[in-house]
Amino acid sequence: MIAYRQSNDSFIVARHQPALLLDYARSQDIGGEQLLRGTGLTDDEPPAAHVLLAPQQYLQLLANVMRALASSDTSFLLGQQMLPGHYGALSHALLQAQNLRQALDILCAGHARLCPLLTPRWREEGTQGSIQGCINGGTQDGRGSTHGGMAVLYWTDSFGAPSQLPALVEMHMTAVTAMCRWLGGERLPWRYCLNRSAPSHVEQHEAHLGSDLRFNCQFDAMLIDPVWLDRPWPRGNALASAAALQGVAGESPELVPSLLTALYDYLLDNIRLGPTLEGSAAAFGVSPATFKRHLARHGSHFQAELDQVRAHVAIHLFQVRGYDNEAVAQYLGFHDATNFRRSFKRWTGLVPSLLRDALLRG
Amino acid sequence: MLQLHRSTLIVSCLALLACVFLYSTLGVAKPFHLWKWTDIVSEGGTAVMAGSWVLFTLSSRPGGLVTRLLAGGLAMIMVGSFADCMDEFFAVSKAARWDHWLEMLVPLGMLVLTCGMYYWRHEQFRLNEHLQKRERLFRDHRAFDRITQLANADYLRRQIRHEQAQRPGRPCALVLLDIDSFHLINREFGQRQGDRVLQAVGHMLLLNLRNDDLLCRYAGDRFALLLPDTGVAEAEAMARHLAAMVGQMRHHAKDGRVSISVRHACASADIDADVLLAELGRILAASAQPTQAAHSAQAVQAKEAAQLPRSAQPVSVSVAGASA
Repeated sequence: MIAYRQSNDSFIVARHQPALLLDYARSQDIGGEQLLRGTGLTDDEPPAAHVLLAPQQYLQLLANVMRALASSDTSFLLGQQMLPGHYGALSHALLQAQNLRQALDILCAGHARLCPLLTPRWREEGTQGSIQGCINGGTQDGRGSTHGGMAVLYWTDSFGAPSQLPALVEMHMTAVTAMCRWLGGERLPWRYCLNRSAPSHVEQHEAHLGSDLRFNCQFDAMLIDPVWLDRPWPRGNALASAAALQGVAGESPELVPSLLTALYDYLLDNIRLGPTLEGSAAAFGVSPATFKRHLARHGSHFQAELDQVRAHVAIHLFQVRGYDNEAVAQYLGFHDATNFRRSFKRWTGLVPSLLRDALLRG
Repeated sequence: MLQLHRSTLIVSCLALLACVFLYSTLGVAKPFHLWKWTDIVSEGGTAVMAGSWVLFTLSSRPGGLVTRLLAGGLAMIMVGSFADCMDEFFAVSKAARWDHWLEMLVPLGMLVLTCGMYYWRHEQFRLNEHLQKRERLFRDHRAFDRITQLANADYLRRQIRHEQAQRPGRPCALVLLDIDSFHLINREFGQRQGDRVLQAVGHMLLLNLRNDDLLCRYAGDRFALLLPDTGVAEAEAMARHLAAMVGQMRHHAKDGRVSISVRHACASADIDADVLLAELGRILAASAQPTQAAHSAQAVQAKEAAQLPRSAQPVSVSVAGASA
């Protein structure tokens, strides 16, 4: 049975990310009742050590700050200071990471504490072509980066906040970019794929992320040449990071993944078996009706989650393995390419050939 | 702001109360069926409007002659039309003159208000001079950045298009400036200190510009300069000078001195604003190499510069790392 957390379970330490948010708001002379409405926090002082927020309260706080500032750079400036952060042993481990590979491993493994709202997944492609997230331990050790490979870090929503997703993605991408730039001592040549049309404040993306930006992609991802994965970082310290990682286990109990994250992983593992609502509910140990209700609470439903995973898998197969429609249709268990083509259009709004062209052009 | 003007507000309220008191003691209440609703609504409405204008004026302006005249004139109009309105509720004997004097406050108030407007115009000219390098030709208060009080990228794009539409063929240069390692200042000294650095650099740049130039905060630690009637070579020289001036700055944080330097890229502003800005941003990003690689970086920049998309007119681009 797969355990999961929901958006009304309190587990985010108010002294961590929410305190950072409040501090930023205060530095911009924003405060008072309006800011804390619906967040469960009582006053403007630094929150007490034992206070925990639910994801929906943290999301509300974020929405309040964004509305009060009404400025297009807020999400980016919040991202600048988000990582490595001051979130206990995990932050120490990140700070001492020896290279990008280790930093991404720590980030993905500890995402529930480091970045509770979005789930990062990373994988190295072009070498083996294994389609597994780092959570499943799918990254191969060693360097083995043949040329033409690619490391992909992509983000999915953890608690269902579609209206805030663009800002959240900006914030998290900026956080990783700024952290790697600081710890690595140089700007890394990321390419950014964003699941949205080009915004009017594209200059903020240029200044805070980089100039290699792709809009209208079907997923939110950061791409980089694998040679950067193992380049040593100046602050890296193997002993210290290992010690910090050992401290993580003792510091706080392990968190089970969020419902949407757990479902994404489950669907990814079973994508070739034609997963159904009933089967998935059984795997999660609840009745289909309860499962539906829990998904609805996260602004989603089973078909939408399944479509998202299938679209991601299809894009991966197009891009990395060079599959054609026929092969992808067969992989995903469609009767024929025409059916697949029609479904893909429904998932993404684009026919496969158009998207394939767009992806391969870069 | 309203606290500043407490006495003015109290006096206005007292005047209104005095009106009510005068009419209710010296006049005779009219019976209900004689009330003329159109007059009550129009005169009372004028009084309410004038009252709200007094509040708007006082809440948005510091004290001073212009504020006194504007608010005083509006307050007189308010009291005058309020007295006019009271006339509808109370009958005053024809022999009494005081109610006419009260109603005379309306034209008198207009006279005072006109004087206020006259001085306000003078004041506005002075302020325009002050704002000249931050805005050109039109004003949009929503386009200003909270930290530096400079216009944002949207305003800049509109200005570039405006310049291209109004004066096609005239030289016009665009410079993008980027603070070196600004993220380290933020990490080491905190974001508040980073904001102060942005303000300091903004001020330094403003002091060294001509009256027709426009300085914007593009995004993050990037500033943009629109230089009308300026060729690329001249713009390049100006940008070098500005970079040198910023390099000379002494910025003091609590934990020691922050050394600031900027690098720049400039181009002629005769192609599409979005393309031009994206291209300059790319050049700046490419020039953010560590100084030991300066030579190879310069070569890369030269190559990048050569790849800039061409429009009908030749585009010339020059790049330089400012760190000496």
